[in-house]
Amino acid sequence: MQNAKDSFYIALRNRLAALNPERTILLRGAIRPGILVEDAEAPFPQLPSDVFVVRWLGHGADIEIASTLVAEECEIVYGTCGCQTYGGLDRGRALSQMDGELLAILQPFSTPKLRFASQPPGAMLTQVFWDEPVFSPAVAQRDRLTRSAKVMVYSYQEEGE
Amino acid sequence: MTAMCFSTPAPVARRVRAYFSPVNRAAQQPVLFDPGPQGWFDLDNPPAPWLNLGFIQNFVRKASSKSSAIAAGIPAAPLEQVRESIGAQVSLQFLAWTKLSMALATASQHMNMIAPGAPSAAVRSDSTASTIVLSAGDAAGFSAGQIVAIDHDYSGQTGYVGSPINGAYLRQPLTDVDYLRRITFNTGLVAQVTGSTLRLAQALAGGAPESGVKVQAIAGFVDREGGSFYPEWSGLFVMEGVQGERIIFHYPRLQPMASAEESALPLAAKGQGRLERVILNAQFLALPVTDPLDNERIVCYRSFLPAPNALV
Repeated sequence: MQNAKDSFYIALRNRLAALNPERTILLRGAIRPGILVEDAEAPFPQLPSDVFVVRWLGHGADIEIASTLVAEECEIVYGTCGCQTYGGLDRGRALSQMDGELLAILQPFSTPKLRFASQPPGAMLTQVFWDEPVFSPAVAQRDRLTRSAKVMVYSYQEEGE
Repeated sequence: MTAMCFSTPAPVARRVRAYFSPVNRAAQQPVLFDPGPQGWFDLDNPPAPWLNLGFIQNFVRKASSKSSAIAAGIPAAPLEQVRESIGAQVSLQFLAWTKLSMALATASQHMNMIAPGAPSAAVRSDSTASTIVLSAGDAAGFSAGQIVAIDHDYSGQTGYVGSPINGAYLRQPLTDVDYLRRITFNTGLVAQVTGSTLRLAQALAGGAPESGVKVQAIAGFVDREGGSFYPEWSGLFVMEGVQGERIIFHYPRLQPMASAEESALPLAAKGQGRLERVILNAQFLALPVTDPLDNERIVCYRSFLPAPNALV
């Protein structure tokens, strides 16, 4: 499933970079598109604002078919305090913008599966695909608005996986 | 070693897309789809004359063909099978209300409501499917946001009427000069009026207007319970698998067989709201054609285009 998870993340990252190049994060000394995988970074005392954080949760597999179908539940968490120029009064608008961006980068609901063990990544034979997102209600914590969306990501296991 | 192929389980598809094309009733000529050269068509831009109806839901195919065995011997045992009858039905729900989806979801004549007091204006021959050219004086009578219908004045003809999409069958002549514009499928929303030109927001379903047609503003659409006319369409339904494969169902002749009927689909989960989406139910009876390949009578084709690198 790791290739599928990597492919899913890279697809979302590339789509976000194309959709909104200004949404970035300075991470480990590099400016990157504003989306990261939580379990591939150092632990955060508090999740960064205005960035999509990809979190992997449940895992399942259907082995009674020609190619094993694996599924992993993905939670994408994001929050914002708005911008300083408006004293944070635009945090609702900023969250709405992130809602729209997330919905946009999740479409189309599939991407080619790549193997990232080598550089450049090698194309595999199948597509990673996922269901429509289910958004949670926004949660307000002082000046910060947070929301998450859950997506079930699917992939067929290929030879060597 | 790099794998060159993979074995695919049953295709996983999200939704079904629907495409329809009118059957030429007078010539009894359906539109045949050849999946060999056409199967990988751009799903957002189907090849002419197919009209894109977008995503549908609750697509159900039901075969009603019957076979029976010819028994022989004592005791009798099946010797051969024969096909007693062929038939099929298709049901689905349209997710949008448009002229086409309403008409397809009605086993009756579908009509346009002429706007009160709306005059008709002659369309010039240099018009296209999305640009309607009038005289400058006539164009001033139209405005952006209007819906218009474009067809000939009715002049007493009988039989199948409406071109190129037959919208009705007349047994006897009428006196209503606007009748063809009441039943035409050449309708569109005016996006802009510039000088003598009406620019339509979408192309006319029947393509560029024929010479001598007129344009007239309409207020909306209406269908009736009853009547004797059954429209007929060629249908194409495409399921796109997540690995890139395609399943294509082609029904050369489909006639709507159920009266106008709607379903309510709650927008939120149960108990969480009272808003409901009103969706159009459609049910079709498949009629037979003779396959030009071998002269067999059939009602539908199912084609499968495997995913790249998938074992077959």
